Amino acid sequence: MVETYQMVICGVGGQGILTISDIITIAAQKKGLDILGSEVHGMAQKGGSVITNLKIGKNLNSPTIPIGSSKMLVGLEQNETLRYLKYLQPGGTVITSDTVLFPITWKKDKKAADNARENIRDNLSKFNAKVHFIDAEGLANEAGLALAQNIVLLGALSQVEGFPLTVDDLIEAMKIRIPPKYLEVNLNAFDLGINAVKK
Amino acid sequence: MAKLEELIANEETRVLCLGNEAIARGAIEAGVQVFAAYPGTPSSEISMAMNAVAPKLGFYAEWSTNEKVAMETAFAASVSGVRAMTACKHVGLNVAADAFYSFMYMGCKGGFVTVVGDDPHCFSSQNEQDSRWLGVSAQFPIIEPSNPQEAKDYVKRAFDVSEKFEMPMLLRSTTRVSHARAEIQFNKFESNFREGEFEKTNRFICLPALARANHPKLLERMEKIKEWLPTSGFSTIEGPDSHTEFGIITSGISYAYVKDALKTLDRELPILKLGMVSPLDEQTILEFAKDKENIIFIEEVDPYLEDRISALFIQNGVIPKIHGKSSGITKKYHELNERLVTAALIKVIGGSIIPVNEIEIAVEETKEFVPFRPPLFCAGCQHRAAFWELSKVVRKNKGIFASDIGCYSLDPWVTDTILCMGGGIGMANGFARVIKDKPIFAYIGDSTFFHTGMPALANAVYNKANINILVLDNRMTAMTGFQPNPTEEIDIADVAKSLGVEYVVVFDPYNFENGKKVFEDALKHEGPTVIIMRKICANEDWRRKRRSGEKIEIFHINPEVCIACGTCIVQYQCPAIRWSLDTNSKDKKYSVIDPEMCTGCSVCSQICPVGAISKVDD
Repeated sequence: MVETYQMVICGVGGQGILTISDIITIAAQKKGLDILGSEVHGMAQKGGSVITNLKIGKNLNSPTIPIGSSKMLVGLEQNETLRYLKYLQPGGTVITSDTVLFPITWKKDKKAADNARENIRDNLSKFNAKVHFIDAEGLANEAGLALAQNIVLLGALSQVEGFPLTVDDLIEAMKIRIPPKYLEVNLNAFDLGINAVKK
Repeated sequence: MAKLEELIANEETRVLCLGNEAIARGAIEAGVQVFAAYPGTPSSEISMAMNAVAPKLGFYAEWSTNEKVAMETAFAASVSGVRAMTACKHVGLNVAADAFYSFMYMGCKGGFVTVVGDDPHCFSSQNEQDSRWLGVSAQFPIIEPSNPQEAKDYVKRAFDVSEKFEMPMLLRSTTRVSHARAEIQFNKFESNFREGEFEKTNRFICLPALARANHPKLLERMEKIKEWLPTSGFSTIEGPDSHTEFGIITSGISYAYVKDALKTLDRELPILKLGMVSPLDEQTILEFAKDKENIIFIEEVDPYLEDRISALFIQNGVIPKIHGKSSGITKKYHELNERLVTAALIKVIGGSIIPVNEIEIAVEETKEFVPFRPPLFCAGCQHRAAFWELSKVVRKNKGIFASDIGCYSLDPWVTDTILCMGGGIGMANGFARVIKDKPIFAYIGDSTFFHTGMPALANAVYNKANINILVLDNRMTAMTGFQPNPTEEIDIADVAKSLGVEYVVVFDPYNFENGKKVFEDALKHEGPTVIIMRKICANEDWRRKRRSGEKIEIFHINPEVCIACGTCIVQYQCPAIRWSLDTNSKDKKYSVIDPEMCTGCSVCSQICPVGAISKVDD
């Protein structure tokens, strides 16, 4: 029996969460695995906090992942990583971008913002999780496309032990999902993500 | 999202798609000829897919002005013998209710399916309405799929059932089915489109004498479905036959949670899954329950199955112990998940799960640091611009502000009340009768104006309500995914004038000077005023420009001039503007514009009190 791999991807609406969720979904399908995802559309997408659930395996039933049961969390923004860490099972793995996007509540209260921002790493460490911090913004810029931060993290994800999809699986899926004119720069971002974890 | 060519490919294939796209494919395979709908989360992608494929496959699809019109359009197609479908969100079904209650008395000819998307947990809705009750009271047969594949298969099947019994069908989906993503088996289909033919008969006239005769016929049709149900395959029983202590009755997405919960608990129990939840498959239910000591109901939000089936038990002298909402094992609000269902089952059958204490402690220790991140107006959004000046005028005059359903529901400044689609102008009518010393404002979008705003505006003119109606015309139905609507063809200013509104003004919401003057002028006017702020949705316009490579003239902030007053960030709340993260110069704080997000709306440069913001390369 194939064990179900449960993961959540989170961030801020507009960061490309659904795009990497799509790529993983396509790669799993090509590999002959069952896939079940759950996402929320509509109002929540507009600059709000966004989470998607993905299950990869066989004989999948419910599309959502309860608290404490995800093997992997990919966070495109540190506050969102912290918000959704509760979905990770104890000892699970986190790939998070260093990126911090100021929510409106922080914009209003600079002191609270400084306090929270300085404590993010400390707070993340309160969860029993193996956390990889990735300079997704820096690496995406290095690759030549600031918007490719999501793909940097996808590259990092491919290196995590137990993740059921390989680098080649994901590259094949990227070729299907990403428009040709942006493919090369995204593949660069993907490579930089891979190396960020290898190091 | 599934690609257009995948959705229309007439072949046996497996395609990754959303539950809603699977529903659309089911309708395609069933040979739907007329599709009409108004968008609404979580149903919109059904209609987006149907509108995209219709021209390719040669059937008719439209974006209707509201759910009632959509239902009526599809109704006429059905009674003319062709297959027809409509789709809406739960509250949209309320708008269509007048049509479908009477439709049921007449029955259909061509297969007819209404898809309703319920939204347990209010992810993108104003309530958690359980549409099964509406279906029951209108005497719709209701089917409830538990996953995207089943949604597709059920839709297809629903058309056959609909024609077999001449009954319009209601397919109830929920967010977690509609917005689940999975690989779906697509099947080949035959496009045997029929010629519409309307047979002149009394059956389709709802006059009292005819309706009186139609009602018992409707009940007879319901009885026939009930008789057929046990052999229909819609009810399935699984799990150990001989088990008599417990039995679970469930439907829809809750079935998926039950399956996973039993896996977690490593237990096997008899499960009765109902694919059709009205009429009830009484025979199968009674057969299933007769030797069970305990019946456990697992369902989301309302105790629909529990209440109806408990009554059935009493009527038939079957008396198992009932566990469900009535005994508190699940709540009557919010969505379920595997863990909640596991916990619910443990309360009845015993057992234990891995404790989450460790996680709860960490959540408790860190929660004060997790900032609230509500959805906001997009960068450059003209609603924000409109509300900015407007809020000052409203506040200065201590006005009452009735808003409506759309992106503008996100207003952070002046909204006093939001009720329902078109409810802003409707409520303003009422406020004008009882609030004598303050100006009354109603705010509405273009799509909502055509949806249900127009009758309320006519009412205001006719009854001489002294109200100010602000229409933000962003040229599309933005909130649900940028769908087109009549504003493309019909000028709202012309509509207002032709309805008899004397004060009608159109202006660009980015132009503040003009806006302020218009709002103040309107207040001096007796009777209803209509102020139209017209500008294409900034988000969609920006995305189109980025896709086409068109230059976007973005703005930047001069750090030397910026006094860090926060007007653009804290007050105006543009998401493209943030404080500098330059920690080396803590004493010189300033704001910066993210060039990847700026749409070039220019509003920040107009409100900056020190003139620190200007166009890049100026």
